[in-house]
Amino acid sequence: MSSPRSQQASDCFGDLLDCIIADVASECHRIARLGLDRNLEEEEEELRRSVQARVADQSSGGEANGKNVVDIFGQTHPAIASEIFECMNCGRPIVAGRFAPHLEKCMGKGRKARAKATRSSTIARNRHSRGSPVSVYAPYSSATSTHRVPNGTVGGIGEEYADHAFEEP
Amino acid sequence: MRASINRPPTPDAEEDPPQKELSLREIINIKLIESGEKEKLMELLRERLIECGWRDEMKALCRAYARKKGRKNVTVDDLVQVITPEGRASVPDSVKAELLQRIRSFLVSSSL
Repeated sequence: MSSPRSQQASDCFGDLLDCIIADVASECHRIARLGLDRNLEEEEEELRRSVQARVADQSSGGEANGKNVVDIFGQTHPAIASEIFECMNCGRPIVAGRFAPHLEKCMGKGRKARAKATRSSTIARNRHSRGSPVSVYAPYSSATSTHRVPNGTVGGIGEEYADHAFEEP
Repeated sequence: MRASINRPPTPDAEEDPPQKELSLREIINIKLIESGEKEKLMELLRERLIECGWRDEMKALCRAYARKKGRKNVTVDDLVQVITPEGRASVPDSVKAELLQRIRSFLVSSSL
């Protein structure tokens, strides 16, 4: 074995090895920069961070978890809707978050409670309530009712007084 | 050479580059590439290094380095420097022997 040839062979081998080292370095660099390799670790860290953030929010902001979540526009909503609008039934200004209970009184607390009341007063009341799903009474009411009110207006005046009579302490 | 404000003329194709003549090393390299042997040797070496786990060891070194330095601060040069000493030293003897043998045969057969 001649020395020079062995030397040349060694050099060649070193050359090849350097190429492969460069390949490995390049690939690892890519993996590192793209965060591909440590995905598990990274995700765990991010999870921990987001949990911490949520805890911090809770302690300062306060309510139930679900209500403090940010929507896709970055807005948060208070737990109870606070916008005020006009009830389409009685025309009173109502806080949106209290609309359902108001409607209950405004249109009659459920069917059973109303059904117990005398039919004539119920019919009269229902004739005034616009948009009421209780249209079962409509055929009767059209026969007996003397008040014909157009849609959407203050048709519940009679009811209103009736309500107050019932519910004011 | 005369100092000139003009761009120096583009060297002609036939002229040798004004460096030293091609060294023996370079000639060997050219012959390796032209014959396709370099490609084959590369593939062989890559395969052997993967089989023996050398590649995984090098990747582990890179990962550890990236973790330490922060993965966004890593450069390719960094990684090359990190791997090279260990990489050169940790090639299994059998792999090295096999490759050297093939290279030597090539040199002989190309009468270099």
